[in-house]
Amino acid sequence: MASQKRIAKEFADCTNNAPAGMSIALANDSDVHKWHVTLDGPAESVYSGGKFGLVVTLPPEYPFKAPVVTFATRIYHPNVTNDNVGSICLGLLKPENWKPASKLLGVLEAVRLLLVEPQPDDPLESRIADEYRRDRAEFDKNARAYVQRYAKGLVKFDGTNVGPDAGAAGGSGKRSTG
Amino acid sequence: MASLDPDELESLRDTELTSLAAIYPEIQQVRPDDPYTIALDVPVTPSDPVVVFFPAVAEAETPTNPRMHQQGDQYAVPQGNTGVVDSHELAHLPSLHLEIVFGPRYPAEQPPQITVSTTPPWLPAETVRKLEDDGPRLWEETGRDMVGFTYIDHIQQSAEHVFDLVGDKGALKVDSQHKIAILDYDIKARRAAFEKGTFDCGVCLDPKKGSVCHRMLDCGHVFCTDCLKDFYNNAIKEGDLASVRCLAPNCAKDRGKAREPSPSGKKRKKPRTYISPSELLQIPLEQDVVKRYVSLKYKTELESDKNTIYCPRQWCNGAARSKKHKKPQGLELAEDSDDSASDDEGGSAGGEKSADKSKLKPYEAGAELLAICEECSFAFCSRCFQTWHGEFYRCAPRRDKGEITAEEQASIEYMKMHTTPCPTCAAPAQKTHGCNHMICYRCQSHFCYLCSAWLDPGNPYQHFNEMPGGRVTACYMRLWELENGDGDDVGLGFAGGVEGRPPPAAAGAEAPPQPVQEFVPEIEEPDDEEDAVAEAARVAAAAAAAAALGHRNEDGGQVGIAREGPLVLRIAANQPAGAGRGGPRGRAAAQPARRGPQHQNGVRGRGQNQQAGGGGGGGGARVAARGGGFNGQRGRGHGGPPHRQNNQANQAHHQQQQNQQVQRRNNNNNNVAAPPAAAAPVAAAAAAVPPDVEVEAGGLDPAQQAWIRQFVQLALNDQEDILFGEGSDDEWE
Repeated sequence: MASQKRIAKEFADCTNNAPAGMSIALANDSDVHKWHVTLDGPAESVYSGGKFGLVVTLPPEYPFKAPVVTFATRIYHPNVTNDNVGSICLGLLKPENWKPASKLLGVLEAVRLLLVEPQPDDPLESRIADEYRRDRAEFDKNARAYVQRYAKGLVKFDGTNVGPDAGAAGGSGKRSTG
Repeated sequence: MASLDPDELESLRDTELTSLAAIYPEIQQVRPDDPYTIALDVPVTPSDPVVVFFPAVAEAETPTNPRMHQQGDQYAVPQGNTGVVDSHELAHLPSLHLEIVFGPRYPAEQPPQITVSTTPPWLPAETVRKLEDDGPRLWEETGRDMVGFTYIDHIQQSAEHVFDLVGDKGALKVDSQHKIAILDYDIKARRAAFEKGTFDCGVCLDPKKGSVCHRMLDCGHVFCTDCLKDFYNNAIKEGDLASVRCLAPNCAKDRGKAREPSPSGKKRKKPRTYISPSELLQIPLEQDVVKRYVSLKYKTELESDKNTIYCPRQWCNGAARSKKHKKPQGLELAEDSDDSASDDEGGSAGGEKSADKSKLKPYEAGAELLAICEECSFAFCSRCFQTWHGEFYRCAPRRDKGEITAEEQASIEYMKMHTTPCPTCAAPAQKTHGCNHMICYRCQSHFCYLCSAWLDPGNPYQHFNEMPGGRVTACYMRLWELENGDGDDVGLGFAGGVEGRPPPAAAGAEAPPQPVQEFVPEIEEPDDEEDAVAEAARVAAAAAAAAALGHRNEDGGQVGIAREGPLVLRIAANQPAGAGRGGPRGRAAAQPARRGPQHQNGVRGRGQNQQAGGGGGGGGARVAARGGGFNGQRGRGHGGPPHRQNNQANQAHHQQQQNQQVQRRNNNNNNVAAPPAAAAPVAAAAAAVPPDVEVEAGGLDPAQQAWIRQFVQLALNDQEDILFGEGSDDEWE
């Protein structure tokens, strides 16, 4: 299948020259459609020091349809839903903007950039976006607190480090650190 | 070297030819009889693309033949001339065709004879001559030796800088008559070069040969045709037209930026992002797919314009011809439609605003009124949507399609509530009385009134009975449900109701009081006396109305009827209300009182007594009521509750206002009142006669009277057999 071939190529490309602070693995060796990406909080951002899990899901129609990227690790960010789903608002991934020639490397790079430079004008969490705009210090503090709470230690992709209200998946709602 | 042996010369020539052929395998021998005449095409591919401009025709016609002038200003871009300068950047110019004849005395005594030509002759004659002279010149320079390779190499090198033809201004001027050929050559040569190349398709990420790739015409991105076909076919199939654009990320955005550095923004035309149908065909997509693309694109364009007028013909629904949106011809979208259709990437606020403005422009009378459907060429008025009636006809705008009057709405509601569609032809049927075995009046299908199921004409009643296997339908034992008819205005006067067969509770529940819609033609109220039977009938109706209402005095149109012979009705007009109710009616009653039963003799089945008299009376009474027009009730011309109407009529004296309620109460309470004295010998009913209904000896009671009226009424419409037919045919039993 053409799509498999392309994904395999992209995967090789991504693992061979992974963007700064990222490590990429398949969630399951037999399925190239789900990637687990570990992203180090960019040093120049409030997320530095944290390790964030990203789940990249490639639809069967990929690359004709956009991939879905979600945070497996809870993050305090205007463009990421503050829940156990961790949906990301990324223009590049919107169906109307997605182009088949877009590459996952670019997508991952865009996610990293989003951590460095949140886009409060196109928010998923308007409260956090407001805070980002009006009270940057408070935002920074909260974001760092989230990093401390959720993004330290081993990155898990099974939804266990997305917080106490992670729903059924989280169950016990383990916190990696205090 | 003066005189060499011809054999030796020949061998020299042979050696040269062999080596030339080895270096330039594309060398051809043009004359079969002369191996020493060779031809070679030298491609003119400048190291850098060269700007070629084609002077406007007017300039070309000026006596200054550019070829005869000095090179310096000859090929420069004309500065003063502001006329259309058509310039193109070309990477390939039509190749140079060399024909070299190595004569018998070559190389020792004879220079090679060289002919240079181009197709088309875009090369100035002067340059051609110079190139041709270069051969002998080089021959001399090499000491009259074999010069073939040297010469060809020289030509190739000068071709690289276009024979020094590019002027100071960096442009090459070529007579515009060669324009098409030259551009065409460039395209072909580029294509050939492209096909030789290898490209990484951005979608499948595989390196692909140029021959299976396509370079997007607008942006130059290259993808393999497989990926493009896959993607575009899918997008067009799904109707996702916005996706039919270059597959490279941010392509249109980047092009937009590159093209428009000035911030003025508004006037700038957005780069075209959609792909032209012809390009899709080039990729190549299937003709059918491209056709679908074109028609979908056009359709979306029309739909996005609120002002689009569609053909009023239901089967057509084409759009009216418009200057703004041109119907695509074949597989080409009309150029004018581009703008509105191209805003898929990025915001388009500016463009839309201006479009809105044009939409808001006041409706101009006349000019725009005539609309012609581009599909079926139907000419119609865009205001009233009728066939074109000329400019000077006053017409009213058509009502919105969804808009119906309250009356129509009520009618629909009523139909929904009180009719059952025929399972075969869907014609709605309303039961006025009888069992639930129906026969469609239109297609003669047998069906169940309760569930609209088709019934076997051989044994229609099985539906209401136990089936062979002991199965039962939902309508088991319900043959007689709603026996009195469906709806509050039907059937209560029929046998079931008065015979102590109380209408099932369901009937009451299912038939909430409803304003009844018109099912019979309007009847005009006559205001003068006439002999004609037709008029008589109408007057009869009016009279009855007057009688029923008792408020007709004001109108002075009170009429009475009397029956003197079997079929003669005499109409008395302008009688006082009281007389109308008492006198004439009383007399007129006699015959119908008998007539009812007579007629019933022919009717088989049960409960016909009331059915005929009562049914007829009911209809008449309702006609009467309608004639009065005071309660909005409409007769339906078949079957009806005489008692109720009579009751109503009586009560109308006292409480006209409450008619509706009364009626409803009657209906719901099964308050069967005033049955025809002769036609309905039912004690219970008789007991219910309201005090002021005059049942005079030898007179007609209102029901009988009404029956006559209805009969006449129906006779006028040639429907009188409803009275007999409905009661007596198979459907009834």
